[in-house]
Amino acid sequence: MTQAIFSFKGVTDDILNHLSFNIYKNEKVMLFGPSGAGKSSLLFLFNRLRDPKEGKIEFKDRPITEYDISNLRRKVGLLLQSPNLFPGTVLDNLKYGPSLCGEWNPADAKKLLEYVQLPESYLNRKVDQLSGGEQQRVSLGRTLANSPEVLLLDEPTSALDYRTAEEIEEVLEELVDVHQLTMVMVTHDLRQAKRLGERGLFLMDGEIKEDDQIKTMLTEPKTEELKDFIQD
Amino acid sequence: MEPEVSNQSLLFLIVFVLVPLTLSYYYQLGMNKDIVWSAIRGTVQLFVVGYILTFLFDLNPFIGIPLMVSIMIVIATLHARNKGKELPNVFAVILLGLITVEGSVLALWLAFDMIEFRPSEVIPMSGMIIGNSMVAMGLALERMKSEFTENSGRLMAALSLGAKPNQASHLIITKTLNAALIPNVDRLKTIGLVQLPGMMTGLILGGVEPVMAIKYQLVISLSIFSSVSLSAMFITMAMYRYFFNKNDQLLESEEELRTQSK
Ligand SMILES: Nc1ncnc2c1ncn2[C@@H]1O[C@H](COP(=O)(O)OP(=O)(O)OP(=O)(O)O)[C@@H](O)[C@H]1O
Ligand SMILES: [Mg+2]
Repeated sequence: MTQAIFSFKGVTDDILNHLSFNIYKNEKVMLFGPSGAGKSSLLFLFNRLRDPKEGKIEFKDRPITEYDISNLRRKVGLLLQSPNLFPGTVLDNLKYGPSLCGEWNPADAKKLLEYVQLPESYLNRKVDQLSGGEQQRVSLGRTLANSPEVLLLDEPTSALDYRTAEEIEEVLEELVDVHQLTMVMVTHDLRQAKRLGERGLFLMDGEIKEDDQIKTMLTEPKTEELKDFIQD
Repeated sequence: MEPEVSNQSLLFLIVFVLVPLTLSYYYQLGMNKDIVWSAIRGTVQLFVVGYILTFLFDLNPFIGIPLMVSIMIVIATLHARNKGKELPNVFAVILLGLITVEGSVLALWLAFDMIEFRPSEVIPMSGMIIGNSMVAMGLALERMKSEFTENSGRLMAALSLGAKPNQASHLIITKTLNAALIPNVDRLKTIGLVQLPGMMTGLILGGVEPVMAIKYQLVISLSIFSSVSLSAMFITMAMYRYFFNKNDQLLESEEELRTQSK
């Protein structure tokens, strides 16, 4: 019996309407739905960048609010659509998270670059001299530096061209497997959802309209909303 | 030497108003009323201030100085808080900041005998300190708000990596302080070269030896420099926390800023 790592019960606020679902360890969950559906809003609840008005969220069987916020955010890492790097070098960015709590080990830099498949020579490069794809890799490395157990991704490739997006996808797939991460990813690209994930949550108007295997959802959508969404 | 602008020659100042007025008329800038009104208003304002100052200078310094300095601080506070009305406690913070800055500068001036405790010295000098601090606080507030909006992605990234609000805001605080200090550093660098500072000009026209005038100007310029730095620092440190709630979450909308103070 796999144990739920995240459990949402009746989660409600201005945007989301009574959401209840579990996320299990090592799952790869794809959150998709039309623009404005509330995907990002839902994702930010996992690491408490937002809090719901009502309902309960549990992380490893304890209310999410019982954790020290910074520790929770280190365990539940987030990667956004744009890299949002801090000014400075690649190294400055990689060590940011661990340094906050005095846990940076300089030897990790090399390892992190390897994870995101960047050459070691990049360590002292200024981040504003990197390409979009390279920046997104650094951003991913920066998130991984905290050794998260859960990885949240908000459309991490939507700002990149097709080729670069594929490269990031490969990096992600390998990382999630090697590190046994649980992954919750927002995407509006259904083909990407199918490539990277197993389970899909179809979100619309702040509600989960379908929760199933992505393959099944694509071949036999149950709701009219999903049918329409697939056709678009 | 007793240089004086006579009343008759003052009348000819009207020529200086006629120039912009003609321009506005000729090019139909639609500013005729504004130009006339501002010229009249400015003239009246200055004369009124002149009489008030004469009155204050004759008062006992222990009454005149606190009275005038308090009025200046309150007016400056009312003015500067417009730049950050949506932030909680902004009035109190600016008021406290201006009192701190003016208080410490005045204490240093008096302690080191740079000026005497006379209304005619303390009030104009304090006016310059308070005025410049007011502008610095307003600019810092505005800058901080726009940095918070522009960098919301970076702030979210920092918070997500486990940063506390003070750690996440570090970048913004640095940028805000930088922006507040750079113009002042530049001004000091070119002081006297590009433009003779107002106070020095005044003293020289009033018949004071240029070197003497420079001494006063140095006191005021360096005092302004340090008050401006202190003001920007004070307001930034006091206000950044209000952009977050107690759960280390970034507040985004104006409404949230107003209602959800820490
Ligand atoms: N800070 C905010 N304050 C108020 N409303 C917001 C805020 N951010 C988003 N919203 C609204 O909440 C709803 C959900 O937004 P959200 O960003 O979660 O959607 P999304 O599914 O991620 O959309 P997209 O695919 O465009 O990123 C939208 O109607 C949006 O207008
Ligand atoms: Mg979104």
